[in-house]
Amino acid sequence: MIRFNAVSKSYPNGTTAVDDLSLELAEGGITVLVGPSGCGKTTTLRMINRMVEPTSGTVSLRGRDIREVHAPELRRGIGYVIQHAGLFPHRTILDNIATVPLLLGWSRKKARARAAELLELVGLPEEMAKRYPNQLSGGQQQRVGVARALGADPPVLLMDEPFSAVDPIVRAELQAEFIRLQKELHKTIVFVTHDIDEAIKLGDNIAVFRTGGKLAQFDTPEQLLAHPADDFVAGFVGQDRGIRRLSFVKAGEVPLRDGPVLTATTPVAQARAAAEAWLLVVDDGRRPLGWAPAAELPASGTLADASLVPLGHTFSLVGDSARAALDSALLSPARLAVGVDADGAVVGVADAQELSAVAAAEVGEPAANAEKADGDDR
Amino acid sequence: MNDFLNQVRLVGDWLTSSQQWHGDDGIPHRLAEHLTYSGVSLLFAALIGLAFGLLVGHTGRGAFAVASVANLARAIPTFGLVVLVVTLAGLSTTPVLVALVALAIPPILINTFEGVRGVDPVTRDAARGVGMTEWEVLIRVEVPMSLPLILLGLRIAAIQVVATATVAAYPGLGGLGRFIVDGLSRNDYQLVIGGSAVVVLLALVVQIVFTALRRVVVSPGLRVSASRS
Repeated sequence: MIRFNAVSKSYPNGTTAVDDLSLELAEGGITVLVGPSGCGKTTTLRMINRMVEPTSGTVSLRGRDIREVHAPELRRGIGYVIQHAGLFPHRTILDNIATVPLLLGWSRKKARARAAELLELVGLPEEMAKRYPNQLSGGQQQRVGVARALGADPPVLLMDEPFSAVDPIVRAELQAEFIRLQKELHKTIVFVTHDIDEAIKLGDNIAVFRTGGKLAQFDTPEQLLAHPADDFVAGFVGQDRGIRRLSFVKAGEVPLRDGPVLTATTPVAQARAAAEAWLLVVDDGRRPLGWAPAAELPASGTLADASLVPLGHTFSLVGDSARAALDSALLSPARLAVGVDADGAVVGVADAQELSAVAAAEVGEPAANAEKADGDDR
Repeated sequence: MNDFLNQVRLVGDWLTSSQQWHGDDGIPHRLAEHLTYSGVSLLFAALIGLAFGLLVGHTGRGAFAVASVANLARAIPTFGLVVLVVTLAGLSTTPVLVALVALAIPPILINTFEGVRGVDPVTRDAARGVGMTEWEVLIRVEVPMSLPLILLGLRIAAIQVVATATVAAYPGLGGLGRFIVDGLSRNDYQLVIGGSAVVVLLALVVQIVFTALRRVVVSPGLRVSASRS
């Protein structure tokens, strides 16, 4: 799809931004280019739409050398999203989104209709259409930036640190939206970030660059975490890559045990007989109500009379990852993660120790890993 | 205070006397002459100032030359230039127009250049990135974004030209300067102050026209105080 063949970029002052890069990006997935600043990731991205011309080597898009295409024409066929959105302040939101269709010569009416569609697609209310960029928050502007890039429905989307200028909460929101959008649109996306967490969260494939414009490793996130090619990559993916790996294990694969689950109608005497420090109290539908500390049970009556400690949060066996399960274990007053099914009924519990065994089991099984990743609905 | 009121009365009497409103020496005819000199000069100055300002602002080449030329031109005394060109080229409207054009170019050139150069590089990068040609970047992004400054340059130039076009009367041409020059030579104080008042009013009208123009052509998105949602 996008192919770099022995591409280098150096500047007259002697700095080399990209050094002999050969890379092939598959169609229909998100490839993340990640690395420290000055590693050439943005230059690499910008060579795809000819915003930067390589010093040597060729870049081809769908088998065609991109230098054969007039640069503006090439760019109209490639979506481009940048860090601070770069919206046109003198145009309304709707006209910003309609930019590329208008450049392509669509009628104003058709371009605006398309823009209205995209506004909705990126989750902005209709009344934003008539506003101007400086009336929007950073996160909203970034959504408009994505909508503008999608204007003419390009097969390829280039995104240069699109979410790094917004606060962490908005960033997480935008990332989630982005994943949802990609599920719907199946674009070929090249995404630049300096944030390895973002790379792992979003990427189907990750290219790690090192300073000096060298490609250090190109792999799936699972492989990158399990088998970093060298010390640089290992250092870059960080010390907590063991925990990150849990993101790729589905919660459904976590071994659960029954645990001290009792209904609220259980008499206190019977509850005491369970001889557990914490009792998980559930209702008739096995939906969890809270934890009852055994030491503070009332003298008589049923568990409904006991004072309950809130659950923290449970994890769902459908949809959540083992990482959410671990989080749930660590935050639970009983140090037990509570797994629930689609209806919210308790299936079982697991502690942090048991969960870490899952991570350990995953290490060193790249083949099994890859399979799981394929089916993983991130 | 009394003195001021006297002057106002003088101007009032002059403006309302019917002889000022008829014939070759009347206000309407002189105003038309004045507006012709000003309009033609401004047109030429705008063509030159905008063309170079946009070109240099967009390409970034020749910025130093623009600043130097503009500063130099600003230092040239208009009246001196008129006398010089009349001496060289003889008595006609041309020397006056040349002087007025020279006067009007610097504010237009400088402000246009600054306006285009001041466009956020991120916005320019985005414009190219979505597939605009250089011409489209200029016309669709840089010009509309620099409009507030471009209009400011045009307004300064227009007011200067309208005020300075009075010098056309020195080499014997028409315009509102006639009243002032003739009044001075005839020691007719009422004529001088009446003519001056008309020039001042005209400058005010120019100011109002440009303010209105700004409201119409500058995008609301560029107003600084736009409220956040």
